[in-house]
Parts: sequence; C-alpha cells; structure tokens
Amino acid sequence: MTELLQYVANGLVSGGIYAIVAVGFITIYNVSKVINLAQGEFLMLGGMVTVALIGMNLPYGLAALLAILLVTLIGVLMQKYVIAYVKKANPISLIILTIGISTLIRGIASFIWGKDAFALEPITSNEPISIGGVMIAQQSIWILAAVLIILFLLWYLMDKTILGKKINACSVNPMAARLMGISPTKMSMLAFAISGATGAIAGIVIAPLSVTSYDIGVLLGIKGFSAAILGGLGNPLGAAVAAFLLGIVESLGAGYISSGMKDAIAFLVLIGMLLIKPSGIFGERSVGKGGL
Amino acid sequence: MKQIIDKWGKSIGIYLFLMILFPFVMPDEYYRSVGIIIGLQAIVTIGLCLVMGLAGQISLGQASFWGIGAYTSAVLTTKYGLPPFVGLIAAAVVPGLFAFILGRAIAGLQGYYLAMATLAFGYIVQIGITEWESVTGGANGMISIPQMTFFGGSELSMYFLIWGVVTCVLLFSLNLLNSRVGRAFRAIHKSEIAATSMGIDVRKFKLNAFVVSGMFAGISGGLYAHYMGILDPQPFGLHESIKFLTMVVIGGMTSIWGALIGTILIGFISEGLILLGEVVPGLQGDVDTIVFGAILVLIIMFMPEGLVPRIRAAFEKGQAKKAKAMADDAQRKQQVERKAAT
Repeated sequence: MTELLQYVANGLVSGGIYAIVAVGFITIYNVSKVINLAQGEFLMLGGMVTVALIGMNLPYGLAALLAILLVTLIGVLMQKYVIAYVKKANPISLIILTIGISTLIRGIASFIWGKDAFALEPITSNEPISIGGVMIAQQSIWILAAVLIILFLLWYLMDKTILGKKINACSVNPMAARLMGISPTKMSMLAFAISGATGAIAGIVIAPLSVTSYDIGVLLGIKGFSAAILGGLGNPLGAAVAAFLLGIVESLGAGYISSGMKDAIAFLVLIGMLLIKPSGIFGERSVGKGGL
Repeated sequence: MKQIIDKWGKSIGIYLFLMILFPFVMPDEYYRSVGIIIGLQAIVTIGLCLVMGLAGQISLGQASFWGIGAYTSAVLTTKYGLPPFVGLIAAAVVPGLFAFILGRAIAGLQGYYLAMATLAFGYIVQIGITEWESVTGGANGMISIPQMTFFGGSELSMYFLIWGVVTCVLLFSLNLLNSRVGRAFRAIHKSEIAATSMGIDVRKFKLNAFVVSGMFAGISGGLYAHYMGILDPQPFGLHESIKFLTMVVIGGMTSIWGALIGTILIGFISEGLILLGEVVPGLQGDVDTIVFGAILVLIIMFMPEGLVPRIRAAFEKGQAKKAKAMADDAQRKQQVERKAAT
C-alpha cells in the first residue's frame, strides 16, 4: 500500500509539471491556433538560465526572476518576429516552423552550456518528509504548490478578468474581436508571454529534483502535449486533470512494469487515445481540429 | 517510363553523370563513405517527400522506420545466419508492416495530431530497441553484422550498390508522380475535400504513401546495418528524424528532386561543420542542431516552397522572359516590315 501511495505521490509531481506544459500549449493554441512545439524548451531555458546566473554569483531569487523574465521575452520575440511573420502558413509549415525553433533553441543551449547535466540547489533543504510512510522530497511540495498557484492564477486571469475575456474573444472569433477593438496580435503576444513565464517557472522548480540539461525540453514538451490531447485540445481544465492522470499512470508503469519503459508508457497512452477518441477525455473545446 | 525520360531526361542525365563521377573525383575513402551515407539518407528522404509533399502529411518519426529496417536485417543475419539479401527483403517488409499498422491507425488524424503521433512512435521505437536487450543488444548495440559481398565489398562497390538503389527509388517515385496516383496525390495536397468529391480515396492514398515511405526507410536501414557492421540505438532518434525533415524542407517538400538535392546539400553542410569543428576549437555541443533549426525556421519564413521549386520558377521565368523578348522582337520586325511595305 505504501508503495502504491509512493508511486502516486511521485506521479502527482511529474503530472503537475506536465499540467503546466499542457496549459501553456493550450493558452497559445486557443488564441493563435498555433501549437508551439518549442514549449518544452521554455522549461529547459528556465532551469538552465537560472543555473547559469547562480554560477555568476547572483542570489537564487534574483537569478530565478531574471530567468523568468528572459524566457518570457524570448516567447514574445518568437511570436512577434517569427510566428506572426508566417501567419497565413498551412499547419504543416507551422509544425515545421515550431519544430525548427525548438531545435534551434536546443542547439544554442548545447552550444553555450555543453551537454552536461546541471543540478540546482533545492529551495529548502534536501531532507525528504515522511507522510504516513510515503517519502516526499521537500522540493516536490514546492513543485505542487507552484503548479497549483499557476493553474489558479491562469484560471482567474482567463475567467475573471477583462484581459482574460479579451483573450477568449480572440480565440472564439478573431475578426469579431478586432471589430470590438481588441488586437489579436497583442493577445497572441500575451499568450506567448504567459506560456514562456509559466514554462520557465516550471523549469526552475523541477531543476532541483531532476537534473537539468540542454535536452530535457523535448520529452517534457511531448508529454505536456500528450496531456493536452488527452484532456481535449483547447480545454485547459481537462488538460490539467489529464496531465495528473498521465503522471500517475506513468509512475505506476515505471514502478510495476519497467522503469526503462516509463516514457514509452506515456506515448502508448497517447497513441491509444488518438485511436479511440482523438477529441480527448473531456472533449475538444475550441473549433479548429488539430489546426486544420 | 518513356514519359519520365521525356520530362526529366536532362535532369536524370546530369544526375547519373555526377553520381558516377563523384567517387572518382574524390578518390579518398573517407569521402566515398560520406557519399554512401548521403545515398542512404536520400532513400529515406525521397520516401519522406512522398509523405509530406505528395500526401500533405507529416512524419516526425521517419528515423524509427530506418531503425526498424536496420535492426530487422541485422538480427536476422547475425542471430539466425540468413544471407544479407534475405535480411534486406525483411528490412523492407517489416517497417512497411509497422507503417501500415501505424498509418491505418492514424489515417484519420491530421496536422498536429499526426505530428505528435509519429513523434511518439519514434520515441517508442527507440525505447523499444534500447530495452529489448535479448534481441537487439540494448544500448550497447550489435557487432559483427555480416558485410555485403557485392563485387568484393569494397567502398567503391558499396557506393555504386547504394546509389543504384537510390536511382531505382528515384525513378520509381518520379514515375509515381507522373501517373494517376501522382495526380491523385497532388489533388489531395491542394484540397482533400475536392479530391474526395472527385472520387479519390484519400485515406487509401495517404496510407499507401506512408507504407511506401516506411519501406524505403527500411531498405535504407538494412543497407546501413550491413554497411556499418555495427549498430546501436543512438542514430535512430529524434535528431535524425529532424535531419531528414530538414533535408526534405530545404529542397522543397513538393519535389522529389528537391528531396535528393536537399539531402546532398545537408550532407555537405554536415561535413563542412565537422571540418569547421576541427579548425575552431571552441565549438562544442550540437552545432549541426543549430544549423538545422535555423534552416527550418528561415526556409519556412522566407522560402516555404523550398530551393528546387524556387530555382525552377526563376529559371522558367527567365525562359519566359527570353521567349517574350524574342516574340516582341519578331513583332517589332514585322511592324517595321509592314510599314516599309506601305
């Protein structure tokens, strides 16, 4: 029983990270109908830039803050100068474009920081806490707290503020939104900024638990996207729930079947889901299907 | 076949000439092996071009079919002692089967879903190869895979064997492009709905393209295994799939020649980067990754149709201009003559 609970606890932590990535995907997708396959690189950059800045003797908090700002800026620049430039491109071109951006960022990261893995100091001590026999690293609690706060803030922003209503308006009907004086371009930029910032935060909080290196973004990105599809593309709440489920299934699979197959399990779930019900567990919320 | 020669005779002639000339201009064994690897990659990218350019789909897991082919042939010949020829046939059939199953499953998917499904498939295959240690040797890989004994098995004979296969694949694809199937594919690429209403079974055509591309990749993988003699799971991952994608995109997704030329171009760029790495000591990490990423982004931003169609368009424009100038000239002459007559 303790073993099972332990796996579930581990699954919740990784699921939380997938949830952030998934919600990041959906935030951008809803506004601009672009799936940003470079989403995982935001996490990698968040962790790596923080490590690099701490290496320059900056205090932890300042380094993290600067890293978040930098990644947000990268997200905005990416939207402004690359994605917006090819607005009329077909989905295949957009996929290739974002894959290209992600490859480029990964290459530059490996060029600057090399291929070594880096560890970040945990926010509080390294001692795990025991809750009813289940050992939980203190950092895991930080991760879950960060995830829940981000999800709550995003929900608040989207559902309770005028800004959120503007973003929603653009996702429902960009033309009508423009007629109401809302700039879809600005909202797109905002969506990229939000994704960049949340991605960077997620990257920073997981770095102490699992080491960070130039190539962690790919897997995190794909799993986040899997969660987004599982939950129904365009549906943030569904995606968050699906992400936690995915994390738990993966952790149980790694524990009871084989730890080497951990990543394969997540992808088998994805392919299975695409075959049975491509619209996701909770149904697709937005109009366009897979960008087509 | 005749139609192809009529349409592409000149290009095919130039291709054959350069292909045969290359190993003699570059007598260095190293450059011959580079030529062999480029040939192997060209077989994969021509297949990928059929999927992307003709069927308008995307595959981010093409390296996995390459890997399945390589391991199929390697396991059959090394563990069961079958001749490489049989291994190669299996290397075409088994990835074809995988592609059929995957393609059937995802035939209804489009855009991002398809990209993700093939990406996930690529990961599963690489993980599967790594984990299935009893058969594939796991992360350590396989050694002493029998070499091909094609005309003595020298580097030069391997070069011609592999480029012979490239030529077959190229002619097959050009022929396909010029047939009813090719026209159906182009119709699908332009508009699926219009194609369907014209009575084209879109699903079937897409599936066929996918299976053919899987088989091409498998054959190339099998040849790769016998050429290298050793295998490990490392080259069959996302990095290679993205490299294949870059090759097709830079040459032009809708052109078979584009895939071939893109492959050669990326091959030369990779070699150039290796040379550069030797000269500049500070270059660390995946410089080629930066270059591939930058190429993908820049091509989609500024030249989405790719190099070969762009060059062809420029060439045709030049031809048209010349023809127009000549026509204008003739007209002017006529006018002058008419004036003189009156």
